[in-house]
Amino acid sequence: MSRFKIGDRVTVRDIPSIFHTRTQGYTRGRTGVVVALRPEWVIPEDEAWGRYEGRREPFYIVRFRQQDLWPDYGGAPLDTLETEFSERWLDPSS
Amino acid sequence: MGTKSSSAYAALMECIRSHAPAEHGVANLPLSISQTRAEALLHVVHDVGGQPDGPIDKSLHKPAHWEKSTHCTAECLAWRGHWVSEERRRRENDLGETLYFGTPYYARWLLAAAKMLLDKGLITPDELFAKMEQVRAREEIAA
Amino acid sequence: MSTTHGHPAGQTPGHDHDHAPIEERGEAVEFAILEAAIRELSIEKGLFSAEDHRRFMEWYDKVGPTGGARLVARAWVDPAFKQRLLADGVAACKEIGIDWMQPTGVGTPSDFTYLIVCENTPKVHNVIVCTLCSCYPRPLLGMSPAWYERPTYRRRVVRWPRQVLAEFGTIIPPDVEVRVHDSNQKTRYIVLPMRPSGTEGWSEEKLATIVTRDTMIGVALPSAEWTTDSTPGHA
Repeated sequence: MSRFKIGDRVTVRDIPSIFHTRTQGYTRGRTGVVVALRPEWVIPEDEAWGRYEGRREPFYIVRFRQQDLWPDYGGAPLDTLETEFSERWLDPSS
Repeated sequence: MGTKSSSAYAALMECIRSHAPAEHGVANLPLSISQTRAEALLHVVHDVGGQPDGPIDKSLHKPAHWEKSTHCTAECLAWRGHWVSEERRRRENDLGETLYFGTPYYARWLLAAAKMLLDKGLITPDELFAKMEQVRAREEIAA
Repeated sequence: MSTTHGHPAGQTPGHDHDHAPIEERGEAVEFAILEAAIRELSIEKGLFSAEDHRRFMEWYDKVGPTGGARLVARAWVDPAFKQRLLADGVAACKEIGIDWMQPTGVGTPSDFTYLIVCENTPKVHNVIVCTLCSCYPRPLLGMSPAWYERPTYRRRVVRWPRQVLAEFGTIIPPDVEVRVHDSNQKTRYIVLPMRPSGTEGWSEEKLATIVTRDTMIGVALPSAEWTTDSTPGHA
């Protein structure tokens, strides 16, 4: 059961990561909107370390305003960026 | 690699000294480092999005046979259950910044695959080094 | 103490001393040797077969951007196909003979089987990157160009997309949203560019010739005058 639905505002958690991660540093602590749901896949934190049949979680596409990612963003205010997260990386945001 | 004369070995040392990290002043087993520098060093190697850089070099590259074959070997190892692509990417990060950025793209795949086979005991170091000597001798004869 | 390094006794290396230029010998052979060694050992030990490797090499040679170009051209001439493509990319690929399950029967280990097609509109321009490695829809576009794999594009396009697009000769008006897709998990992406003016009445085959690889990554726009044969720097 997915915790988030399309249109929900979410903030990316900043979970400590050394050696490997699929959650880019530039997204951490940033808030965006869920724009699409993905199937349940094995999370990369398990696959990367040899647990191929590891824990499955729903994945989400989150859209950010570029101005929310980069304080000095020099492009147009309407520009956006989309990327994916497994559920553990997202907190609800008001 | 291989037997080298002392002058060739000196030239090799000079080349090693010249590549990243260039500042041996800071990359020389420091006795202590700042929290900022520790966080920068521990930042995951492949997580480069947003780092400033110069113009894009749009040169195209026709892959060498070893590059194409490396792609297929890495994929066959995954196809037959010996690793998955996310493990490969983690092992590319494990190579460290100098090898990650200092070698051609498929050298990363290759070094990660070789270390995976050794780590899991699927091949032994003796077998690998003997095979490399055998391939080198064969190629030198062919050359 | 050897004097190989050229430091007279008592002189500290690194101060007021000229380094001899580094003499670099020819193209590296180490990777070719290591590649042959691990492939041959893997086959000898039965980790995979020589036949597995041969099948993958054949697949590698077969895939390329002409697959994506055919897909885009079909979507331009067939609105019902375009709807199916946007709803289920992998299934729509199969309609034009591109099977994401090849060459193993369950897909490639690195490219996965979940494709999202990002449609350009008069309001949105899409561009694709993988900042963490170089995820790419290989079954549809073949191997990624070197600039897509190398760090400079990965570093810059997520933060300075309009500058990067301009370096590729692509200027997007400020009232059009530039939407960057950072392909960081299992989904793979392709851009469906807008059909350019001047192509009215063209056949599907002729349309496919103006759909270059770069237009499907999103760093370029197709043009009636610019075909896959004439794009500068196109492999």
